Amino acid sequence: MHELILEVEGVSKSFPGVRALDKVSFDLRRGEVHALVGENGAGKSTLMKILSGVYPPEAGTIRFKGQEVRFHDSTQARDAGIGIIYQELNLIPHLSVAANIFIGREPLTWLGTMDERKMNAEAIAILERLNLHIDPTITLNRLPISKQQMVEIAKSLSFDSEVLIMDEPTSALTESEIDELFRVIHTLRDRGVAIIYISHRLQELKHIVDRISIFRDGRHVSTDDYAAVTLEEIVSRMVGRKLENQFPVRRNVPTTEKILEVKRIRRDGILHDVSFDLFRGEILGIAGLMGAGRSELARAIFGADPIDSGQILMQGRRLSLRSPSDSIRAGIAYLSENRKQEGLAVKMQLAENVTMANVGDVSSRLGVISRSREMDACRRYVEELMIRTPSLTQVVNNLSGGNQQKVVVAKWLFCDSKVLIFDEPTRGIDVGTKFAIYELIERLAREGVGVIMISSELPEIMGMSDRVLVLHEGSLEATLVTKDTTQEEILNYAAGLGRTASKGASVSPTEAEERMQS
Amino acid sequence: MSEPRPLTTNRPGPEAPSNGKSSVALDRFLTFGAVIVLFAVFSVTAKNFFTVRSVLSLLLQTSTTTLMGIGVTFTIITAGIDLSIGSVVALTGTVAVMAAIAGVPIWISWLIGVATGGVCGLANGLMITKLKLPPFIATLGMTFVIRGVALTITNANAWPAPESFGALGNDTIFRAGNQFPGISYPVIIMIVVAVLCQFILKKTRVGRYTYAIGSNEEAARLSGIKVNRVKIIAYVACALCAGVVGTILASRMVTSQPNSAIGYELNAIASSVIGGTSLMGGVGTVGGAVIGSFIIGILTVGLTMQGANYFMQQIIIGLVVIFAVYFDQFRRK
Repeated sequence: MHELILEVEGVSKSFPGVRALDKVSFDLRRGEVHALVGENGAGKSTLMKILSGVYPPEAGTIRFKGQEVRFHDSTQARDAGIGIIYQELNLIPHLSVAANIFIGREPLTWLGTMDERKMNAEAIAILERLNLHIDPTITLNRLPISKQQMVEIAKSLSFDSEVLIMDEPTSALTESEIDELFRVIHTLRDRGVAIIYISHRLQELKHIVDRISIFRDGRHVSTDDYAAVTLEEIVSRMVGRKLENQFPVRRNVPTTEKILEVKRIRRDGILHDVSFDLFRGEILGIAGLMGAGRSELARAIFGADPIDSGQILMQGRRLSLRSPSDSIRAGIAYLSENRKQEGLAVKMQLAENVTMANVGDVSSRLGVISRSREMDACRRYVEELMIRTPSLTQVVNNLSGGNQQKVVVAKWLFCDSKVLIFDEPTRGIDVGTKFAIYELIERLAREGVGVIMISSELPEIMGMSDRVLVLHEGSLEATLVTKDTTQEEILNYAAGLGRTASKGASVSPTEAEERMQS
Repeated sequence: MSEPRPLTTNRPGPEAPSNGKSSVALDRFLTFGAVIVLFAVFSVTAKNFFTVRSVLSLLLQTSTTTLMGIGVTFTIITAGIDLSIGSVVALTGTVAVMAAIAGVPIWISWLIGVATGGVCGLANGLMITKLKLPPFIATLGMTFVIRGVALTITNANAWPAPESFGALGNDTIFRAGNQFPGISYPVIIMIVVAVLCQFILKKTRVGRYTYAIGSNEEAARLSGIKVNRVKIIAYVACALCAGVVGTILASRMVTSQPNSAIGYELNAIASSVIGGTSLMGGVGTVGGAVIGSFIIGILTVGLTMQGANYFMQQIIIGLVVIFAVYFDQFRRK
């Protein structure tokens, strides 16, 4: 059981501007479940991509079953016996379970047609090795996500994988589905498969993990038997640095002037009578676990999703909420968490994106756009927000994530928005740019805008907001003054446990935070 | 792409040169260059190709495909498509003829023809936005419906229109005795429509929104753009162009032709695509559609004059479509 199957030594990898992995070493034994944890950007995913042949390492060696290996693509790694299961499943929804398992290497009859019978029989055999009873002829998309994931595991096993990498396998699963996954993982381990298990949910590791390795900022911090470390030690090693100076000095002063009043907003099954006020110059944080309805609340205020009842007053005037255009005209802006999908027309130019929500301002009365006025307007925002771009006509797709975020901000500033709703403003943005985004948010509030900031990162809420709304399953659980509250209190409300639980602590802060970040 | 540089100067000219700009210019030059080369080749190899008379006839023949290509470009930019425009051509022509026969003043019957196109476009647009049907399906269905209506109102007959109805399709202006036969009205209309549509797409809000929707519909919606309205406008514009073509063709024939224009939509789409319009949406120009249709037009006329038969022409045009798009993809990488 203690035979090493995989040894990584001194592996490094850089991307433009980032050292993603810095002389990392790591080893894996046959028949163990080895957890790999670290914050976003710690280098876990990069290492996994190197192990599975997606990226070549820049330095260092990888030994698999005692032999030095260098995979050129993921097919090679898979054929050698290293399989990877990504968070997003790589299956074809409209094919049967068996067809998915054998795709690309379907058994053939002597006529050259696909041997469905053999395929189904072998699929059953593989699924049974995992103690799974799934009909191989059923169309994949008729299975719940958890079962689809099992199919993905089965597919990976059918390549005789000896090492299986699982990236956040529980992120989309319910409690009982997670139990089934763990059972399958135990079965695999008992069969001698070595499993690398990447997860943000530290609490669940205790059920399955033998050893744990912690990564931070592209470096390997420690590897221990799971039993030998406490959760607190794990967390402090993951975070490592002191979290000072992550946020700018806050100089915005909330006024007493109500700019936005949200009254008993209801969207059946999603939002339950949520009410709150936003003041000029205030940064209002919205916290909550996944599925608590944070983005849905923002979209409702913005008129992007229909609501069933309730009203919203903007500077005392009731909004119609039929479509975003009414809210935009009233001065509300929504900066979606999916910039590329919902915020930008990436094939279009920077200037065209900046003016998109308010082209009227640079157009004549007949709707003819003045290119020179458009350019003048954009130039101002490019300078003010320090957007790094070779020109105003640059296609947005070619800008970095942080600069794209600034283009979205410019778009809404150009509309003269008085309420800006930031939905996960720093997701997918590197640490340096994060600070710039925070500064921008602070400055907007200081200049008299009302800011609503939805965030899954509690430190961000604590560091940036004046008050914080905590949502739980579509209901407003608490409205807290940020400087008088703690992360623990927010998490208890977010978990739906109310104030009382903060004494009893039936949910530990780490657990709740894990849930929150997942 | 290269590492973005900071914007160094405070005031770069409004049209500061950038990679994006110059490559667009290069595109235009390359496709336009193809037209020139084709034209030059046929001028040398085909007798009588490069004469005033045959150039004017080329313009006239190509004007209808060009108009339809310009129209369908609107819908393709929104990431949609309009397959019904061939049928729209047939219907609008027959409606105009029937109106003229019924005694409506000639020029009003022409306008009725064009307006009929607008109604078809509105129907397409409403089905796509309100019933949320995929554009391919909605306009495919309408292909049959509209054709059926054209056949029904004419009882599948070619009714003769009053003689003056033929003016739009057959008369010319700037005629100078026997020296210069004059420029046909359809060519003038083509130029006017092309300039107008280019202006709408590039200079107006509606045009900007058309590109925005094709590039990212959700982003457009969340920017407050009335997506449905803009899409309907695109389908109406497309069908109006087809209505103009239908009226011109009926006028040229001076009869109702309910069975005409079958497959014309494919020529129009081919023109647009050769001209660089992306079926994925967000990309496309009027100039491209014009150049695309002229590439097809020059090939057809030139090959005919060289004596290549119709079947050969079909093969060559098909290959041009395929290679034009392949070349386009290859260059973008």
